[in-house]
Amino acid sequence: MTPLVQVENLEKRFDAVRALHGVSFEVEAGEWIAIMGPSGSGKTTLINILGGLDHPTSGRVVVDGMEIGELSERELTRYRSDKIGFVFQQFHLVPYLTALENVMLAQYFHSITDEKEAAEALRRVGLEDRLEHLPAQLSGGEQQRVAIARALINHPKLILADEPTGNLDEENEATILKLLHELHSAGHTILVVTHSQAIGNLADRRVELEHGRLARITLPVR
Amino acid sequence: MFFRIVSDSFARKPRRKALTAAALALGMAVATATLEVALDVGDRLAREFRSLGANLLVTPATDTLPLEIGGVDYRPVDAGAYLPEGELGKLKTIFWRNNIVGFAPFLDVPVEIASPSARGNQVGGAGAHDTAREMLIGTWYSHSVDVPDGSKFVTGVSSTDPWWHVDGRWFSDGAEETLIGAGLAQRKNLRVGDTLTVRSGERAHALAITGIVSTGGREDNAILAPLKVAQDLAGHPNRYRRLLVSALTKPADAFSERDPSKMTPAEYDRWYCSPYIASISHQMQQELPGIEVRAIRQVAEGEGRILTRVGSLMWLVTFAALFAAALAVGATSATTVLERRSEIGLMKALGASRRTVSAFFIAEQLLLALVGGIAGYAIGLELARILGIGIFGMAPTVRWILFPIVLVLAGVVALLGSLMPLERASRVDPAPVLRGE
Repeated sequence: MTPLVQVENLEKRFDAVRALHGVSFEVEAGEWIAIMGPSGSGKTTLINILGGLDHPTSGRVVVDGMEIGELSERELTRYRSDKIGFVFQQFHLVPYLTALENVMLAQYFHSITDEKEAAEALRRVGLEDRLEHLPAQLSGGEQQRVAIARALINHPKLILADEPTGNLDEENEATILKLLHELHSAGHTILVVTHSQAIGNLADRRVELEHGRLARITLPVR
Repeated sequence: MFFRIVSDSFARKPRRKALTAAALALGMAVATATLEVALDVGDRLAREFRSLGANLLVTPATDTLPLEIGGVDYRPVDAGAYLPEGELGKLKTIFWRNNIVGFAPFLDVPVEIASPSARGNQVGGAGAHDTAREMLIGTWYSHSVDVPDGSKFVTGVSSTDPWWHVDGRWFSDGAEETLIGAGLAQRKNLRVGDTLTVRSGERAHALAITGIVSTGGREDNAILAPLKVAQDLAGHPNRYRRLLVSALTKPADAFSERDPSKMTPAEYDRWYCSPYIASISHQMQQELPGIEVRAIRQVAEGEGRILTRVGSLMWLVTFAALFAAALAVGATSATTVLERRSEIGLMKALGASRRTVSAFFIAEQLLLALVGGIAGYAIGLELARILGIGIFGMAPTVRWILFPIVLVLAGVVALLGSLMPLERASRVDPAPVLRGE
């Protein structure tokens, strides 16, 4: 079976700085991968390229049969709305839209809005009583759950989470991890950038980067 | 969802939105006021100019060469062509009839008057010694003309040359009365209250002098009498030789000078329906065949120059106000874009195209333009009223057609002002923005 994600000899330069160099790995559909490494090792650059937010300088990145480096700006926009669900460390919710509207925003950019489906997505993350709340009226954990509901709403092929628990306390971190675990169990493919050994241990495999190079791919310690 | 996002976003940061709307409102207020006044100023100034004298001269087309010395026509009364007085009412039936503010026919008759050797209450009649040839100018002072549509139009020198100065009073159009030019009065020692007998051939009239007239022109050395008297003396009842017309006109431009016979039907319609001196003359000639209409160049050109300059000034002020508003809008929307970079980055990461991101901002700017445009129009009307009263003594006519124009202008200014910030918004690179860089 063709892997969902194929990364071959990926290189990314920012002027003279080489952020990624000769990175190659594959991700099967339904896998949970933790991308780990120290700060500046190229984790976020890798996830940005996989999410179609950045172009590779050289090498191949193929997601669900689409080669990212070959896509035009318009095709990349379509790719992001169709194939990818993003979860960010800073949640990135639109401050003047309610929880429900924030989820519907992703539907709007994808195709058409469906309020019932958006409400159902929020119910799945345990926020059925927070639909009409603005982000400022929600706790950090609740905001991240809204972001996860938003990431899931268009049934993406790949969920990319960049330090999803980085801004949360332990209790909220546990809630988010439980949620990611449920998503994984439901068959979603998840790539999580993390410093957290706890998350790394929950993943199927750990892709470890050092100075922009792939240092090793390890199995978690259970 | 689009309107939901726009309306939710619009309700945010009300103070900044109010500032942008205020900048637009001020620009639109100045634009409304100057446009209101500019559209009115032409009519108003033209009316003011009309008090300076007529701007069109009508003569018979087939007239003989005039023998004029010092503005006085010395042809014998039986030489040259005459025009029928009865057709003058037709001037008020042309397309631009409402722009004809007045007209006065003239008929010059050389007459003999007798100078008194001693003061008496009759001059040129019994007891007169000396006879001299003087010019009698027959005209209307304030005459009621029958218009073919059944209405009446009161006109005469009172409309075409209201600034003529009269010591005493004007003659009545139907009476045996006269005004004497100031120069002639001094030369012949004539006074108000005297009776002057004027003679042309076998015909004579004894006219009561009701006033002494000063015009600074040829009338100062002539006798001014009702047209009927002049027609009787000349032996040409219901005829006149010269007509001065005072018309509200638009300044001449290259288009107005074109030959109407060489225009396309559409061009001809536009030309015909513009109150150019040329088109009004053309319409007068259609109604009164056999006349020749000439613009009194000095007056027409002076008016044209002033109207063009006033118009240019108004447009300049309007442009400056709109430009200032656009700059203010640009400054506030640049700040907005800077503040909302992460929101724009997020939208792009979620799959919003550049066009969609721009559409949100354009919709918000147009909403602001609507608010600013409505407020600006209301303020502008009041400003125009104050300006109108200050300059012309009366408020300009409210032109509702300006309302949609001002709204469109507000939209254009809001969009032009935020063009660069909009471009910047659509180019936001989501990756660094979402990392918080």
